[in-house]
Amino acid sequence: MGRTIPSITLAFLEEQDSLKRFRRALRKADQQALDDLLAAARQHLAPAGYAAYPLPLETFLLAMLLEEHKEVMRLRTMVESRDRE
Amino acid sequence: MKLRGWLFDIYPAGQDGAAIWLIGEDGKRYQFLQPFPLTFYAAGPLHRLRDLWRFLSRQDKPPMLSRTERRDLFQSGPIPVMGITVGDQESLQGIFLKTQSSFPDLDYYDVDLNLALRYSARYQTFPLALCDLETEGRQIKAVTPLETPWEMDSALPPLRILRLEPDSDPNHSQPARLEIQYGRASYTLPLDPARPLLMDLNAILKQYDPDLILTRWGDTWLMPHLFKLSRDANIPILFNRDRSQEVAILDERSYFSYGQIVYRGQQVHFFGRWHIDSNNALLYQDFELDGIYETARVTRLPVQTSARVSPGTGISSMQIITALQQGILVPWRKQQGERFKTALDLIHRDQGGLVYQPLVGVHENVAELDFVSMYPGLMVRFNISPETAGETAGDPENLAPFPGDTPGLVPQTLAPLLEKRLKLKTRIRTLSKWDIRLKSDQARATAHKWLLVTCFGYLGYKNARFGRIEAHEAVTAYGREALLRAKESAEGLDCTVLQLYVDGLWIKHAGWKNPGDFVPVLDAIIGNTRLPIVLEGVYRWIAFLPSRQDQRVPVPNRYFGVFQDGTIKVRGVEARRRDTAQFISRAQMEILEILARAQNAIELPNYLPLVKELIRERSMDLKAGRIPLEDLIISQRLGRELEGYKKPSPAARAAHQLIQTGKQVKPGQRVRFLLTRGLPGVHAWDSQVPLDMRSLNIPLYSELLKRAIHAILQPLGLSQHAIFQASLFK
Repeated sequence: MGRTIPSITLAFLEEQDSLKRFRRALRKADQQALDDLLAAARQHLAPAGYAAYPLPLETFLLAMLLEEHKEVMRLRTMVESRDRE
Repeated sequence: MKLRGWLFDIYPAGQDGAAIWLIGEDGKRYQFLQPFPLTFYAAGPLHRLRDLWRFLSRQDKPPMLSRTERRDLFQSGPIPVMGITVGDQESLQGIFLKTQSSFPDLDYYDVDLNLALRYSARYQTFPLALCDLETEGRQIKAVTPLETPWEMDSALPPLRILRLEPDSDPNHSQPARLEIQYGRASYTLPLDPARPLLMDLNAILKQYDPDLILTRWGDTWLMPHLFKLSRDANIPILFNRDRSQEVAILDERSYFSYGQIVYRGQQVHFFGRWHIDSNNALLYQDFELDGIYETARVTRLPVQTSARVSPGTGISSMQIITALQQGILVPWRKQQGERFKTALDLIHRDQGGLVYQPLVGVHENVAELDFVSMYPGLMVRFNISPETAGETAGDPENLAPFPGDTPGLVPQTLAPLLEKRLKLKTRIRTLSKWDIRLKSDQARATAHKWLLVTCFGYLGYKNARFGRIEAHEAVTAYGREALLRAKESAEGLDCTVLQLYVDGLWIKHAGWKNPGDFVPVLDAIIGNTRLPIVLEGVYRWIAFLPSRQDQRVPVPNRYFGVFQDGTIKVRGVEARRRDTAQFISRAQMEILEILARAQNAIELPNYLPLVKELIRERSMDLKAGRIPLEDLIISQRLGRELEGYKKPSPAARAAHQLIQTGKQVKPGQRVRFLLTRGLPGVHAWDSQVPLDMRSLNIPLYSELLKRAIHAILQPLGLSQHAIFQASLFK
């Protein structure tokens, strides 16, 4: 038993770790925003694992974009409903 | 003579072949002998087999040799092999050692098999099977089993059970007395002086002639202690019914299993009588004797062995039986490597089950749907076995079975077990809680569960005789497809999927709250996957928890909730962990029991005053020293040898204290300790060194309690600060 390929969670943690220097050099407020993006990507580890891309970072970036778009849609709906009122 | 009774025990009896014990329907205990020739096989180039033939023919006692063909599961067709037959187990070991050292280049099969398994395969018997025997004197002439291991209700023999137990945990304090119980009779014998103890014990053994001696700490302390007293006083103890045999003592060992180190204590086996140490029997807490008997019946391993071995050995034994019955060779040392794959192929195939991050928070009217025994079910349904799934990846996306004229070895082995478990589970649902069959059915279903859970791991375990990583990967691939189809079916009916976890999904739908509302989803999933799935239940409310380190990050399989019947289900929190102090687990469960009174999520805050009061009380109890020390014990496994620690863990520090007091601690063993102030920060519970009560680290216990409570209350929107303001933690 045992895995040859690291699990998607491990792959994510490796990618997160590789961003350490980038994160350190960001301003504090930007660090917070980056952490939010990473937390968003983490919500979609299962689909990223299932997709099994050779470069998992691609799916992590897509997952961040997906969560951002959901937030845009949520805000758009809110604005539109306020406009209607 | 014709005799009917239950097969009790089988073991090698030197040159006599096999010793067979029977509990007759007449209530008598019989011992018989039966010549039982054993064959192992050698395979390789024909000229080497000819050399081997000549070599074996020249031996002092040459074995019987034969040329034949057998099937190696990992090769396409039958292969020519040489059969080497000897009269008994001891001769087999002797001749094999000579053969293997002179012909190491050959492949060997059917070498190291348990005699009881060989016997079961030849005569379709199993432990506790009702059989008809034809005997002549002490010899068995014919055996006819009257049942199979797959009967739902078999009458077990009326076993005589004697319980032996020291009056205290010998790891913690030196016992002074031996407590003995047989039915309603009970005795207490002082452990010192030895002579009257041994004589009384022998008298009790003679009077009751038990079939089973059930002990606590029997393997690791009581039996070794009694044997020492017996040797010193020169009074043999009559534990074995078969006086021609010595009691067997198997050494303790530590081994790796599923990434962690496991410790198995020394074992003491009797002959003609069973010894089971409930502290050393694997899973005894889960299924007690009913589960042990059932494991023995379906795995065909002797009862004393099946009580102590892992479910992996059990499933392996079942596969060996299937192989022996079908003339498939059982490899001595398997040399089956992973098939060559491209990197991309490897990335696609080397995956586990699908595990989704849940939608964190409290949800109402959530249905939990579980595939029934999903992985073994997939193996049976889609014919996943080392010989079928070895070469191709199959077609998981279309859920198409692996081709084969007959089911593979693994599906064949699992099918009857799976069927029996399903029947038992179905019956359990219909039984009232007073039905006398309920406890036994539950224990047996649990025994089956462990075997079925392990069969998946064993399929990918490189040392398993019938393991093959490609078959293991195929199971997960079919499992992912089934779960994704389930998700799509649920979403197709407008359900929100809250969590997916390997073989289960948690869903909700606006307006649905009765079990019947979710039936269309079940039907849709069954239609899409052709796999059985059941509704585990509907939660009044369920809370999926985030990571402790980062509240934004959801964690799979960390939740608690209350089903509509009030049953609480908890996963991944302190109360489920074996290394949590009882006091903390209990406090967490007490809070959950209060919250479980809420009929819906909106009512939850109504119960917070009661929760706060409970927290205040428990906190006061802790600070006032009212918690029994036993409830503060933390029990952790020692992960490696003590020298292997760079920074010793609390368990390692406690183990060090034990060693200083002359005790032995092996990797994998659990070490019990209390948390203390200062260095080394722990007090080994079993060190027998008195504890200064003032040294207990109450602030640290308070902190652990806080964390456990916060894990439960955080989903209700309460911060640690808000909760602990109201309590006496501040």
